[in-house]
Amino acid sequence: MSEGLGLADGAVVVAPILEIRGVAKRFDATQALEDVSLSLHAGEIHALLGENGAGKSTLIKIITGVHQPDSGQILLGGQPVTIRSAAEAQRLGVAAIYQEPLLFPDLNVAENIFISHQDRGAVVGWREMFREADKILAELGMTLDVRKPARGLTLAAQQSVEIAKAISLNVRVLIMDEPTASLSAHEVQELFKLVRDLKRQGVAILFVSHRMEEVFEIADKITVFRDGRLISTRTRLEATPQRAIADMVGREIDLTKARTSCAQKDVVLSVADLGRQGVFEGVSFDLHRGEVLGFAGLIGAGRTDVGLALFGIEPATSGRILLGGKPVTVRTARDGMSLGIAYVSEDRRQLGLVLPMSIFANITLPVLRRYLSRLGLVRTGLERRTADTFRDRLAIRTPSVDLEVAKLSGGNQQKVMLSKWLNTNPSVLILDEPTRGVDVGSKAEVHAIIGQLAAEGIGVIVISSDLPEVLVLSDRVLIMREGRQMAILDRAEANEETVMTAAMGQRSTDSIDGRPS
Amino acid sequence: MNWLKRRVRPEQIRELSLLVLILAAIVFFGSFIDNYYSFRTFNRIASSVAIITVVAVGQTLVVLTRNIDLSVGSIVGFTAYFVGTLIASHNGINPILAVAIAIALGAALGVVNGVIVAWGKVPAVVVTLGTLAIYRGVLVDLSGAKTVTTDSLPQWLIDLPLVNVAPIGSLDIRALFMLALVIVVAFQIGTTYLSFARRFYAIGSNPEAAQLIGLPIKSVVFLAFVICGALSGLAGFMLLARFGNITVEAGRGLELSVVAAVVVGGVNVFGGSGTVTGAMLGAVMIGTLEQSLFRLGISEFWLDAVLGLLILLAVASDAVILQRLRQLWGGAELKLLAKETDSVSSEQSASPP
Repeated sequence: MSEGLGLADGAVVVAPILEIRGVAKRFDATQALEDVSLSLHAGEIHALLGENGAGKSTLIKIITGVHQPDSGQILLGGQPVTIRSAAEAQRLGVAAIYQEPLLFPDLNVAENIFISHQDRGAVVGWREMFREADKILAELGMTLDVRKPARGLTLAAQQSVEIAKAISLNVRVLIMDEPTASLSAHEVQELFKLVRDLKRQGVAILFVSHRMEEVFEIADKITVFRDGRLISTRTRLEATPQRAIADMVGREIDLTKARTSCAQKDVVLSVADLGRQGVFEGVSFDLHRGEVLGFAGLIGAGRTDVGLALFGIEPATSGRILLGGKPVTVRTARDGMSLGIAYVSEDRRQLGLVLPMSIFANITLPVLRRYLSRLGLVRTGLERRTADTFRDRLAIRTPSVDLEVAKLSGGNQQKVMLSKWLNTNPSVLILDEPTRGVDVGSKAEVHAIIGQLAAEGIGVIVISSDLPEVLVLSDRVLIMREGRQMAILDRAEANEETVMTAAMGQRSTDSIDGRPS
Repeated sequence: MNWLKRRVRPEQIRELSLLVLILAAIVFFGSFIDNYYSFRTFNRIASSVAIITVVAVGQTLVVLTRNIDLSVGSIVGFTAYFVGTLIASHNGINPILAVAIAIALGAALGVVNGVIVAWGKVPAVVVTLGTLAIYRGVLVDLSGAKTVTTDSLPQWLIDLPLVNVAPIGSLDIRALFMLALVIVVAFQIGTTYLSFARRFYAIGSNPEAAQLIGLPIKSVVFLAFVICGALSGLAGFMLLARFGNITVEAGRGLELSVVAAVVVGGVNVFGGSGTVTGAMLGAVMIGTLEQSLFRLGISEFWLDAVLGLLILLAVASDAVILQRLRQLWGGAELKLLAKETDSVSSEQSASPP
C-alpha cells in the first residue's frame, strides 16, 4: 500500500482503503439502506451521524459481515470483496468496537486481546501471549495486569482492551460504534488520544457518536444519514453542528439554549450529610419545587449511588432525608415509591422495562393495585386509558399502547419509562442518564419534557455524563468526585470549565474560602 | 496477602477448600464407620469415582458452553449394555476394538444431542431430558429387558477392574482409576493449552461476543456434546468391566451424581469458568459420600437428597463466596504510562464563545 500519507488532515490524494458503492439493504418492509456510497482513506477519521434507525448500524453490520447487502459493492484496497462473516471481516483487516465492549469476563486480559486471532496456532503459548499483550498495551501508553480476568474492568479499561485487540489484528479499518457513550469526559479524552495515535499509524476510522461536540473535535469528515439515505458528506471545516443536525432531522434543532427556570420557593427534598459506607459521604442539598438539579462528575464519582440511596435501592447508611419538611427513612425501593420519589434508571433494558410486555402494562406496573376491580382483577381498560394519556402527553410514537415495548425505538422506550414513573405521581423525579444512546431529535424532546415536568412543580434531579446537557437543563449543578460532594454551582457560575475543575478535584480559584478575590 | 493474591486465583481457593472438605468428610466418616481407613474402602471409592470422573470431564465441557447434558446416565447404560451383549456373543473380540466401539457408540448418541442443541436451537435441558428418556426407552425395547451376566464375559474383562497398574506401597492404583486420572490430566492440559479448546470457555463466558468475533459457536457446542457422549461411552465400558452384570437399569440416575460433581467442583452453571480438575475433585467428593453413606446403611433416596442439597449449596456458594473472593482480589487496574505529550491534539481546545 502507498505509505506516503499526508500526516495532517488528509491533504494527499490516495486511493481509499474502503469504498462502498451503491449499497442497499432491505428488511421486510423497511428500506434500511438505499444507494449508499462512501469512501474511507487511510489515516482518516470519518464520523457517521444520524438518528437511531437512520441506517448507520446497518451499514456497519454490512461492512463487518453481519449482514449482506442486497445490491452494491464493497471494495477493500481497490479490490471488490464479499464479507460473509465477522471472522472474514477481521481477516480482511476490518474490526469493530462497540458501545458496550464485548469482552470475555472469564478469560484473562491477554487472551481477550488475542482470542480472535485465527492464526494463533494450535497451542497457546501463555508466556509469549502475556508478553505480547503487555507490549501492545505499553505501546498504547498503559499498563494492565494482563493475567487477570477481564471481569470487573472499568468501561474505559475495557475499551482500551478492545483497541489493543484491534491493533493486534493489524486493522486497516476500525469501526467505532458509539465508543464514548458510557465514558466520562476525561476518559473520552484518553480514548481520543488513542484514536489519534491510530490515525497517525494510517488506520482508517469510522466513528459513530451521538455527541456532536465529540464528532467535531475528532472527525476529519462527517457524513449524515437520514432514513437509510446518505444525506451529506462534508469535511469538518465545511460542516457546522447546526447544518449537521438539520441534515439529520430534516429541520433545525437547538440543543444549546438554556431552559428557563421555574424553580419555586418551597423545598421539596432536603438532604443533609447523606452517606453510604464505602460508596459516598457528606452529600447535602436542598431541592426546590420545580427545580432541576444537575448531578455532574466523572463516571464512578458516586452520582448514581446517591440517586439509588434516595430511592432506596441501595439505602444510605448515614445522614438525613427530609421530604416536604418531614424526616423520612428510605430503606427499600417500595419506601421510595410510596414517599413519592421516582428513579428512572440509566439501564432501560435491565432495570427499567419489561421488554416483552405491552406499553400499558409497563406503565401501570408499579401501581398496579390502583387498577384492580373489586374482584381483584386488573382493569385493562383503565390501564389503556392511563397509557393513552401518557402517549399524548409525552408524544410516544406508537400505533397502539398494546404494542410490546421491545418493538419501540430507544427514545420511545425512554418515554414509556418516564410515563411509568410519572404515573406514580412523584414529587421528586431522579433521572439517571436520561438521554444516553438516544438521538438528537429525541434528546430535544426529552429535554422539553423535563422542562414541562419541572413547570408542573416536580423537583427533578438529572444525573448525566453529558456535560452540555447538564448545563442546559439545570438550575443548579451539584458536582461529585470520588464519593464526595465537591460543590454546588448556580447556573450563573456553572460552565464547562468550573464544573470540570471541581469534578477533577481542583478547586477553582474563586471559590477557595478565606482568600480575598 | 498481596503475595497470595498474585499467586492464587479465587477459583483455585475454591478448589483448595473443596479438598479440605473432602478430607473433613473422610475424617467424619472414619469416626462412624468401623474399618473405614482400609484399602478396601479406598478401592471402592476409587472405582466409583473413576466412572463419575470420566463422565464429569465431558459434562464439564458441555457446562462450560452454557449447556447441560442430562442424558449421560442413559448413554452410559446404553453403551454398557450393548457393548456387553456384543462381547458376550463374541468373546474373542479385541479389547481395544471393544473400547473403541463403546466410545463410538457414546459419541454417536452425543451427536444426536449436539445436532439438536446447536442447529435445532432447542435448549439443552429440554433436548437431553428428552434423549435421557428416549435412549433408555430404546435400550429397554431392543434388549427385551434381558441382562448381561458376568459368566458370559471373557476373563480379561472380569479381571480388568482388579488390575493394579501402580502399586504405591500397599495401596493399589487400579486400571479404571488410572484411566480416569489420565483422562483428567489430558483434558486439563488440553483445555489450558489448545487454542480450539479455549473456545469452550470463550463461548460460555460471553456468547454474544463470541458471535461477533466470528467463533464457530455451533460447531464448538456440537463438539462438546460429542466429546461428552464419547466419554460417557467409555464410562459405559468401565461400568461393564466393574460390575459384569448389566441390566437395562444400568447407569440410571448417574446424571445426578455427574452434575453434582461438576457443580461442586466449581464449574459455573452459567458457563465460562471451571476446570476438569475441579470436576474431578467434585467427583471424589460425591464418590466418597456415595460409598460412605452406603456403608452407613442410609437409603439411596437419602443419598439423592444429599446430592441435590450439595448442588444447591455449590451454586449458592458460587454466587456468594466466589463473588466475595473476586471483590477481595479486585480486577486488573488500568494505569496510564507517562507518555511524551502529543502537541497536535492539545492545540485545539474548545474555547467558550
